[in-house]
Amino acid sequence: MALPGLLLLLLSLLVLRQSILVMLIAALTYAYLVWGDSAPQFMVLDAWDALNREVLLSIPLYLLAGNLMSKGSMAARITVLMQSFTATVPGGLALSAVLACALFAAMTGSSTVTLLAVGTVLYPALLAAGYDRRLSIGVLCAGGTLGIIIPPSIPLILYGVMTNTSIIDLFYAGLGPALLLIGLFAAYVLWRCRHMPAQQREMSRRQALRHSFGALLAPLLVLGGIYSGYFTATEAAAVAVAYTLLLQVGIYREMGWQDVGEVLVDTSRLIGGLFPVLMLAVCLNMFLTYQQLPEQWVSSALSVVDSRGSFLLASNLLLLATGSLVDIGSAILILAPLLHPLAEQLQINPVHFGIMMIVNLEIGYMTPPMGLNLIVAMGAFRVGFAEVVRAALPFIGLMLLGLVIVAQLPVLTLFLL
Amino acid sequence: MAALLQKLDLWERTLCALAFSVLAIVLIADVLLREISGNGLPWVQQSGIYANVVVALFGLGLATSAGSHLRPRFADHWLPLAWQPMLQRIGYAVTGFFLLLFAVFALQFSLQTRALDEVATVLRIPLWPMQLLIVIAFASAALRSFIYCLQPQLGPESD
Repeated sequence: MALPGLLLLLLSLLVLRQSILVMLIAALTYAYLVWGDSAPQFMVLDAWDALNREVLLSIPLYLLAGNLMSKGSMAARITVLMQSFTATVPGGLALSAVLACALFAAMTGSSTVTLLAVGTVLYPALLAAGYDRRLSIGVLCAGGTLGIIIPPSIPLILYGVMTNTSIIDLFYAGLGPALLLIGLFAAYVLWRCRHMPAQQREMSRRQALRHSFGALLAPLLVLGGIYSGYFTATEAAAVAVAYTLLLQVGIYREMGWQDVGEVLVDTSRLIGGLFPVLMLAVCLNMFLTYQQLPEQWVSSALSVVDSRGSFLLASNLLLLATGSLVDIGSAILILAPLLHPLAEQLQINPVHFGIMMIVNLEIGYMTPPMGLNLIVAMGAFRVGFAEVVRAALPFIGLMLLGLVIVAQLPVLTLFLL
Repeated sequence: MAALLQKLDLWERTLCALAFSVLAIVLIADVLLREISGNGLPWVQQSGIYANVVVALFGLGLATSAGSHLRPRFADHWLPLAWQPMLQRIGYAVTGFFLLLFAVFALQFSLQTRALDEVATVLRIPLWPMQLLIVIAFASAALRSFIYCLQPQLGPESD
């Protein structure tokens, strides 16, 4: 009787348009009252411990750096650079969209920011150069999702926090699948646009490199610092903020301190939406652990899904369905602690499983009805939802192919560890 | 009501911007000092964590006023459109209730911490005032939701 009661409560809250935060408070209070052997206020102890962690400091700083980078001309500079290298190839402009999205995603770590920043510059250029409208929308939507898997990525940090997996290892592991997806997108656009005429460069490569040098240095500094072991993830985030401020305020002079203040408030709003959910997801995880539910869940799940292959298939289907309905942050915070012990029991490397999970949820950005990049693209490119979905379809297929490869070839993820 | 919401918003925006600046400055200073002198500052991480707590908790109010909380939207059209205004008001009341409930739990918890004289490990300052921020932040977000329930036109556009 207790479990249907909980489901009924959650369903009622869903219909009343409640946030994940409210649903977690309600579910935890219910769980403490019905199954707990301590008073509900003890959930605040776990909530406090969740917030009181050094590892979380990288998240606000990466979000801040990403938001600072999205103002001004950094995306446009990166785009010009990519165009200078690809313009002479048939389909080069579409290829530059993939590469510019990948590079800008590596700088900002955000899918929607990448889609908007690069899309604003390249979408009119693609249409003006005679590229198919559907392909143009699709490539920008898909390129935007690369921000999820290319380090430094907030979802990778969240997975690391929720499952106690090394965030640096996840950053290393994300590189292979990211390159695979970039390769798949690039090969597809080059094949689709093989009959498009090559174009003139806007700038010579040397000029473009000089024009974008400052912006280009940002991902090199952050990723180089992390991969060389010189910086921890948090230190690299602090360096990213300092460098972006120097660039935007001091060198490019595209932002004043008042603009920086606005970005601080905007980023605080994002953190205020994410961290309380994180805090309560940790509480839920701790409650489940106190009640020894993960062990029970693992043993009962193993009676149904008893092999590595069937687990990977079942978990991927579950994640695809979840990713198309809820945002990636909520999906990771709730599902990662549930699926992680099962994966470990089946001898699946936790880093490999985490990357597979993120690649899978990345597809959720492109799938109806709730794909965030589809919704953002509708507004940014002023097209109907059905048109955006049709544009996204070939790229969803490519991402599914990428997911199968990532799931089946752990070496692609683990070769740098 | 609108004036109260504006004051609340201004107060939380200012606090968040200040705490975020502290967070960024102390962590950047720590990296720079380590590069220059080879030693970081021992209190930096803990100060950064507390600054982050302030940003996360008062950002909650900002997220509430912008209607930008993480929310599953696939069930938004399960009930008739004509019911939406009524459902929206009930929704605000329910949000306010649960946020206030959590604030009450947090108050009980911070009073216990105070009674036990618990202090932060590195900074050696009492923990309860920091934990009291959870109470203030959740109560403030609850107050906003109750105001939106009474006057839905003051609520965020995205709701």
